[in-house]
Amino acid sequence: MSFLIAENVSKTYSDRDSQTEVSVLHNVNVGIAEGEFVCLMGPSGSGKSTLLTILGAMNHPSQGRLLIDGIDVYALSDERRADFRAQYLGFVFQQHHLLPFLSAVENVMLPLATLPLKASEKRCKALDVMEKVGLGGKASRLPSQLSGGEQGRLAIARAIVNDPPLLLADEPTGTLDTRTGDEIMRVFLDLNGRGQTLFMVTHNPTNAALAHRVLHIRDGRLDGEAGDCWRTARIGTNGTQAALPQFAPPLCHPEHNRTSDAAIRECRNLDAELQ
Amino acid sequence: MRISTIAFANLKRRKGKAMFLAAGIGIGIGTVVALLSLSGSLREEIGSQLDRFGANIVITPHSDNLSLDYGGIQVAGVSFDQQRLTIDDAAAVYRIPYRKRLSVVAPKLLGTIEVEGRRSLLAGVDFQKEMRLKRWWQINGRVPEKSDEVLLGYDVAKAVSAVHSSPGRGDGGGQTPGHHSAIEERIHIAKERLAIAGREHRIAGVLGQTGGPEDRMIFASLEHVQTLLAKPGELSVIEVSALCKDCPVEDIVVQIRKALPHVNVAAVQQSVRARTEAVDRLTRFSAVVSVVVLVIGALLVFTTMMSSVVERTKEIGVLRAIGFRRTHIIKSLMIEVVVISAAGGMGGWIAGLSASRLALPYFTENGAQIEWRASLAVLAIAAAMLIGIVSSAYPAIRASRLDPSEAVRYA
Repeated sequence: MSFLIAENVSKTYSDRDSQTEVSVLHNVNVGIAEGEFVCLMGPSGSGKSTLLTILGAMNHPSQGRLLIDGIDVYALSDERRADFRAQYLGFVFQQHHLLPFLSAVENVMLPLATLPLKASEKRCKALDVMEKVGLGGKASRLPSQLSGGEQGRLAIARAIVNDPPLLLADEPTGTLDTRTGDEIMRVFLDLNGRGQTLFMVTHNPTNAALAHRVLHIRDGRLDGEAGDCWRTARIGTNGTQAALPQFAPPLCHPEHNRTSDAAIRECRNLDAELQ
Repeated sequence: MRISTIAFANLKRRKGKAMFLAAGIGIGIGTVVALLSLSGSLREEIGSQLDRFGANIVITPHSDNLSLDYGGIQVAGVSFDQQRLTIDDAAAVYRIPYRKRLSVVAPKLLGTIEVEGRRSLLAGVDFQKEMRLKRWWQINGRVPEKSDEVLLGYDVAKAVSAVHSSPGRGDGGGQTPGHHSAIEERIHIAKERLAIAGREHRIAGVLGQTGGPEDRMIFASLEHVQTLLAKPGELSVIEVSALCKDCPVEDIVVQIRKALPHVNVAAVQQSVRARTEAVDRLTRFSAVVSVVVLVIGALLVFTTMMSSVVERTKEIGVLRAIGFRRTHIIKSLMIEVVVISAAGGMGGWIAGLSASRLALPYFTENGAQIEWRASLAVLAIAAAMLIGIVSSAYPAIRASRLDPSEAVRYA
């Protein structure tokens, strides 16, 4: 039984200038199991972000429905859906979207601001999560005083502070250099290794290679699904089907005791080899 | 971390904008506070000046024959009184519940008398009270002190050749304070004595021309006139000046009528109406200016908050995306507005009162003071907060309705 089920999801925007309807998603069906790491790839304008925001309970689909943990998300009222986001979802944005006037720990505490917890409890929780993502001792820094990688980790800390069952990420390494991007992916893999369900939009085949599954979207339609990282890496680079099955099991399944560092390294090697 | 933490952090971050907004509200509230304080003082001053400007209640006996006119008020005829007005009635006026609001109770006996072959109106008055009542009187000479001394009205004095006058500068030798024109007629008393009803009287002073009935009257002490007219203890009219800034003159009239059921008691509508109109105009003017200033303040808050919402689209989108309800967004913005407005209101109260205290001497003459009233501070802060909340309501609601996905993606 999937934890997340998107059924026949379509999204249409009306273009005021031309007074026409622009269809962005067509009958998309997605299922994500608990603990799964799913990547979504596709060219710009293919509908990746729209699908992500729909799965993130932020963007009402024109058609279809979204069930998360059995809850029909878009049947909820706007305010109840906000509560749902606070309780079930964590977001990592491409630009991180940290609030520059709040300290690192205050940024992490943001999702807890509306919860009826003691201030000390909120702070402890935030510090604990910061420690987990390797930001211990940087609680009082402002986002501008952190490196790109640290900002990315801070954004992840904010996304997971409320222990959301589902973590959504929109090209979290898109604006980072390779080393920093790897650093962020390591955090994601560690989280996923601990059972965190993860749905990530990415352009980066190396990152996609780390997922259990990769969904491809084109012109608003899901047109293929790669079950193994090696296939993804291959498709993402030169489009040929050269198989390197020996890499697949240790990279793609958490039960094979992979470590995030090893996984990234191996995928990067694989990518280089394929190129 | 609470919603208020975000609001306060935002205020700290946008100190300049917050201060600008607070200053805008402060100027608005300050203007209103200054206007209200100044107009309040002016109202009091106008009220007290008008209260001093003669009597506003006249008590006369019931009579069928009203043949003489006094100050535009028809005075009961001297000869056909049905119910007599006595000095005891004047004393009774002082026993009404509103007695503390009575400024002057001036009894008079009026009668016609032969003066050098002419019929003139003779008024017996209590000079001390009369002088308090008729502050505009300018006396050339002095106020009569003895029973055989008289004060002549200007026309009477001219008619009996008691004065000759020349144009000149100065106060005309008047003993009483009042408003003087720069150039006045200088009156010289040319005669010391005058025969009234066959008895010699000393002319103590001559009234400067008033243009009123006083010009055609002779004033002597009340007791003396009662003797001359053979009406001991009798009165023709009692003029009452009530200090009635906060109470309707009509209430005092009702109380006097109750105390003196056998006499006529009338409010001098003209003076009451003039006073009410003057005060009302001031009040209306202050209200209109206040409304205009407050509307401008509200527009300032509105535009600033609208631009602030646009500027913070991304931030609001992030908050909505991570689970903030619409009401949380509105609350956060409203906390900011309330803090800014309260600061503006407080600043406006201090600035407005300071300005009005500084400006007061240029508007009033009687040394009126404006007190630092805490109640006005509470009102100023409440008004500022109300303006802030009302004018931020739309921007806040608009902010809360931002589509989080759009706000986050395109900001």
